[in-house]
Amino acid sequence: MEEELLSIKNNAVSLILDAPDLATLEEIKLQFLGKSGKLTIAIKEIAKLPEERRPSVGILANEVKLTIEDAIENQEANLKSQTSRKIREEIDVTNPGIKPPLGHLHLVTQAIEEITEIFKSIGFERKRYPEAEWDWYAFEALNFPPNHPARDDWETFFIDTPSHQKFGPMLLTPHTSSGQIREMEKNKPPIKMLNLAKCYRRQSDVSHTPMFHQFEGLVVDREISIAHLKGVLDFFVKSYFGEKRQSRIRPYHFEFTEPSFEVDVTCGVCLGKGCKLCKEGWLELGGAGMVHPNVFKNVGIDPSEFTGFAFGWGVERVLMMKEGIEIDDIRLLYSNKLEFLEQF
Amino acid sequence: MQIKILDSWLREYLKTEAKPAEIAKILSLTSVSVEKLEKLSDDFLYNIEVTTNRVDLMSVIGLTREASASLSESGFKAEFKKPKFETIQKANKFPIEIRNDPELVNRVCAAVLEVSVKPTPDMIAKRLEASGIRSLNNLIDVTNYVMRETGHPAHVFDYDLLNTAKLTVRPSRKNERILTLDNKEYSLLGEDIVMEDDSGRIVDLLGIMGLANSVVGDKTKKILFFIDNNEPKHIRNTSMSLGIRTEAAVLNEKGVDPDLALDALFRGIELYQEIADGKLSSDVLDIYPNRIPDQKIILTTEKVNSIIGEKVPSERIEKILEKLNFEVNRKEDKFEVTVPSFRRNDVTIEEDLIEEIARIYGYQNIKSLLPPQTVSEKFTRFEDEFYWEDRVKSAMKYFGFTEVYTYSLVSEDLYEGPIDNALSLKNPLSSDMKYLRGGLIPSLISILEENKKRSKVKIFEIANVYKKRAGDLPKETLTFAALVRNEGSFFELKGLIEAIFEDLGIVNASFKKRSDGAGGANIFVKGKNLGYIEPLSEEITDFEINFDELKKFATRKKSYRPIAKFPESSEDLAVVLEPNISTMDVLEEIKKVDPLISDVSLLDRYGDSRTFHIVYQSLERNLTKEDVSKIREEIKKRLTDKFSASFK
Repeated sequence: MEEELLSIKNNAVSLILDAPDLATLEEIKLQFLGKSGKLTIAIKEIAKLPEERRPSVGILANEVKLTIEDAIENQEANLKSQTSRKIREEIDVTNPGIKPPLGHLHLVTQAIEEITEIFKSIGFERKRYPEAEWDWYAFEALNFPPNHPARDDWETFFIDTPSHQKFGPMLLTPHTSSGQIREMEKNKPPIKMLNLAKCYRRQSDVSHTPMFHQFEGLVVDREISIAHLKGVLDFFVKSYFGEKRQSRIRPYHFEFTEPSFEVDVTCGVCLGKGCKLCKEGWLELGGAGMVHPNVFKNVGIDPSEFTGFAFGWGVERVLMMKEGIEIDDIRLLYSNKLEFLEQF
Repeated sequence: MQIKILDSWLREYLKTEAKPAEIAKILSLTSVSVEKLEKLSDDFLYNIEVTTNRVDLMSVIGLTREASASLSESGFKAEFKKPKFETIQKANKFPIEIRNDPELVNRVCAAVLEVSVKPTPDMIAKRLEASGIRSLNNLIDVTNYVMRETGHPAHVFDYDLLNTAKLTVRPSRKNERILTLDNKEYSLLGEDIVMEDDSGRIVDLLGIMGLANSVVGDKTKKILFFIDNNEPKHIRNTSMSLGIRTEAAVLNEKGVDPDLALDALFRGIELYQEIADGKLSSDVLDIYPNRIPDQKIILTTEKVNSIIGEKVPSERIEKILEKLNFEVNRKEDKFEVTVPSFRRNDVTIEEDLIEEIARIYGYQNIKSLLPPQTVSEKFTRFEDEFYWEDRVKSAMKYFGFTEVYTYSLVSEDLYEGPIDNALSLKNPLSSDMKYLRGGLIPSLISILEENKKRSKVKIFEIANVYKKRAGDLPKETLTFAALVRNEGSFFELKGLIEAIFEDLGIVNASFKKRSDGAGGANIFVKGKNLGYIEPLSEEITDFEINFDELKKFATRKKSYRPIAKFPESSEDLAVVLEPNISTMDVLEEIKKVDPLISDVSLLDRYGDSRTFHIVYQSLERNLTKEDVSKIREEIKKRLTDKFSASFK
């Protein structure tokens, strides 16, 4: 019996050491340790031995089993490491990877996210106000005189519906400035609002689409000055366009701000030296100004107590002033050609 | 408004050592934008954009006054050489009786001169041409030169063609016909400002353009030189409705300072004497019924500095205002400021004066400060109303979708539902963009047509849709829609909705069969219908969800459950069911059987047999075979009772 067990052990170990792969090894394992394996059968035979021999043979059988199991485990580890080595040697790392699905956010969304984060980080709160508005919010309360050209049928879309007794005709907001009135009617200072929304104007050419996006900032508090407007402007320009870009304000004229400014940013191509793409080194970003006292009066804020500034700039405009995105026809943004959208 | 001025013309009244490029830069920073500085062979040309409130700067003299203030406050030596025109005796005796209507015309200044028609001297012709005005003959050129130099439009009549003892200013009558000096005929609208002779013949369309019947020409010997200052509103109406956009009209509709009129007349007379052998044959006429009263504004240094954000000394404020021709009466830090006549339209309140001070002080000299944070600001900044929108957009991107932006304005074809429900534009740009849309899906479908060559498409949009409300603004609802073509089955898109919901913390959504539209399912959360998913065709599936409502259910709240200490056990159960029985009902029924059932899902559906994968788990103990088989029998019993199920 002892000899048989030892022969099983030797036989098994030599087969195991010669096993060329995991499948063969598994076969050998079954051949010896399986339900009807050689060792299993031999162990069953032990019961037939005289009682006094059983303990010593039992111990031996157990040792044989452990030895075979160890050998299998070692050989398995050997074979596995050989396979890994082979894989490592044979892998062509220049083959293409297999990508999970990856889509694209629209350029306008990407710009909106960036703009929002920049203003949020200096305490602005993003708000949403109606796109379809009354004249009061879009013009009248913003101090536009009755015969201002923006109020005529050539520039602003009007909705075919009766006028409101108090608020006048219904229209599509031509600028985010209507949000100034909404915000100040609802909330009292201090105010730090960012209104970023769709706007509509009656024009369509290479640099205009009938629907576009603006972002409007409004800050109202005691002692808000032009210096604060400049601070916010500089912070935005450097955060959004990069630290090399400079900004400046120049005199301008708007109905709802006094003083009013035109904001310029140095050209991204020549960085202010002057080139074909810019005006003497500068690109116009948009308008800004100190809130006009009439606007404050229209929303019930005392202009002798509070001051404020506001700005309203085009999302598409700042997008296209960014380096690398010189799109020659803005209408492409809304054409929804997938070849275009998938570039970003 | 645009104005082009030669550097040499500007320097006639501006004494400075500043170079043209420096003048251009300083003007841009402190006053009006010099869009372009052109180098000519022996001169420079400034191309200047003037904002509509500064009609006083549409002139050489205005620009010179402004430039000298700006330059001298920006470190350059500069002096405004104020022109002094020879004043001529005014009298009431005038060869033509002029009857003015003060409702229409603020001031009339006029003189009669004997002249000879000659070529215009080069210098004047050059200045006009560079300025964008064609040089015609010396008589007309004088009027344009006066306009450019002083900023007040002027007119000249052939005295002999007028041949009248009386000229009467009056509003036009509807349908009166005129022939302008460029030989175009117009039918008047009424309320235009015209002047008629003693026979009732109209001889001028005031403030806009002269007429052919009294225009000067080669044979002109005697002229009536005429400066009229008009009511801007009338001029705007006439000019816009007739479509006559002359330089004079553009200036007059903004409101030219009537105080300038007499100087303009004197300057004109001087020029006629110089270049047209002009001899005055009358006294100078000046009818000035609408003198604008003085305008005074009170200002304090404290207010100035609180808006500018710099400490500008009172002395500096005074100096700046005086350089801009404001009259200043200062007592320490308080000012009483009288606005010059040419700024009365534009400067009416304290803030207007502060703008003057700030810009000349130099915006570039004001520091940059971030506004202070205040304690009353809100604490919900992280999860604001845009948080979930951003999160879903980002999820969609990583699920492989491309975001689109389509126009909110659509054609009748792209409007879903009866067109009477649509809000429509009164003045659309085209019929393609006439209605405010009520849904996003038609717009997404139109994108498929634009990308015909792409068989596989996965797109989405989050945008407002609009619903009419009587007597109120439309209801704007943020809506989330997606569409796939040849990109997975109905169930893959449904699975995407379920994954998005899970990410939003929404666990109890249900899908119920939908009979309208293209079928599919309506989507419910807590009994509220949020939208639908529909198989539009074999290739196309889409969904549309009310995002404003969805957002209300979204939550970042998480709750912790201890990790199970005891292993779970699971099994698959094949159930034979009638095809009309919905899987969701069966799943819910199984779940209800016992709290030890931790999860049930549909593994497979083949013919009338559906295989469910059931997971059992207890947090307190190991489950025995007996536990599981007891529950299984109960499941079978319930399914048999409720759905007449059978088991293989």
